[in-house]
Amino acid sequence: MTLASELGRSSRCCLSRVGVPVAAAQRLATRAAGEFSASGDEVGDKNADVFDRELKSKQRDRAAWFMHESDPILDTVTENLLDRLEDCKRMFPTALNLGGALDHVQRMLHGRGGIERLISMDTSVDMIGRSKRLAAMDGVTGEEAKRSALENMQIIADEEYLPFQAGSLDVVISSLGLHWVNDLPGAMSQCRTALKPDGLFLAAMFGGETLRELRIACTVAQLEREGGVSPRISPLAQVRDAGNLLTRAGFALPTVDVDEYTVRYPSAMELIEHLRSMGEVNAVRQRSLVMSRDTALATASIYQSMFGESDGTIPATFQVIYMAGWSPDISQKQPKRRGSATVSFQDLQTAFPPDAFSKTSDDPKSTSTTKSITELASESKERERTGHNESEETSRTTRLPSGSWFKLD
Amino acid sequence: MVRGGILVKHAAFNTSLLQYLACPLSKDPLRYCEKSQELVNDSLGVAYPIIDGIACLVPSRGRLVEKLPKDPEPDPAAGR
Repeated sequence: MTLASELGRSSRCCLSRVGVPVAAAQRLATRAAGEFSASGDEVGDKNADVFDRELKSKQRDRAAWFMHESDPILDTVTENLLDRLEDCKRMFPTALNLGGALDHVQRMLHGRGGIERLISMDTSVDMIGRSKRLAAMDGVTGEEAKRSALENMQIIADEEYLPFQAGSLDVVISSLGLHWVNDLPGAMSQCRTALKPDGLFLAAMFGGETLRELRIACTVAQLEREGGVSPRISPLAQVRDAGNLLTRAGFALPTVDVDEYTVRYPSAMELIEHLRSMGEVNAVRQRSLVMSRDTALATASIYQSMFGESDGTIPATFQVIYMAGWSPDISQKQPKRRGSATVSFQDLQTAFPPDAFSKTSDDPKSTSTTKSITELASESKERERTGHNESEETSRTTRLPSGSWFKLD
Repeated sequence: MVRGGILVKHAAFNTSLLQYLACPLSKDPLRYCEKSQELVNDSLGVAYPIIDGIACLVPSRGRLVEKLPKDPEPDPAAGR
């Protein structure tokens, strides 16, 4: 039973003991329950329950013991993400480290971005314990003076219920931590509220192309052996949705970029072991709870036959989407108000006539300067039909949206 | 693998975190109760445990605190 409903129930019980009429008690109960979801659209859609969060935290508990000190994928992604901190001149004293590659962020930070306090947050107790041991080890051995200058704090919390006061954090960093969150827009919106104005939100998530080969192999094997398909790979955000997520959460100046890493494994079993050690095993609620040995072996062999390389290894794709957004602030550039334009497109054409850029000046129409866009388009069509003398130059020409040809040099 | 050799002292809760933390459900500021090692949200009547010096602010771990009228505060707030 959720805390909300329990609170509702207990307040109802309290009040009925005191003698308040039942109808009023019920109203109070619904108000108490409603309070939790009434903070606007921050808490978001409660019906999106794709992932089993408790199972995920247990899987991460196990991964905390399996994980190696340095992991090639996690290290590369974290390094790329933290590099983005150096692109800003600003200092961010207080940082929140949302789950995922927690201790990798802690270890690789090296004081970038002027971070003095790092609050690490995860749902899994053992992951946090690991992060604490890492922090303690630095204190004991005294290595890397820069690292021990970082004040490390840990809490156990859920990304969907962010326990931070509004306007308390300078930067939120999430290295591969948000792709197991049920209500992603709600979580990101809570991050935005928790950030100070002009605070930075940096996240790296796995994208839709991740483990594409494994997804195909699993589907084919299941269709062959079991006659049906159940989700073996979790649904992942698509690149085109990442920008929408940022704007929906209310971030200004959103940036999204994508990177793809291909890792080679001797066989599918090593891939699965690696995923287990990162805590990335399946936690989708609708998954089939049984996997027969036949299906597992069939998956491995299909993977090998469909995607195997010449030297016997298999590739696995990891597509990472890096998102960055700033919490709104008046110091940021705003788009101009509609109707406040001072220059018209006609003026632009006058100032930059389309033919001024092309090297072939034998065009009879090059003298006229003010043309409409349709005239330009028809011109270029004529040139296309008749202009074979331009064919050897077409490899170096490119077409402007207005339809005229622009010569590259 | 258990990391042998490093004994992490049982750390007390870091009270400087209080300026950042809030209740995960209603975002109200929390009160630290040293005696019962909990972070209490007085307006909603929920207390979150602190395990081994680490605050556990997951809604499912919250304990309901009965808020009857004229109830004296259970413990004096030590770190505020």
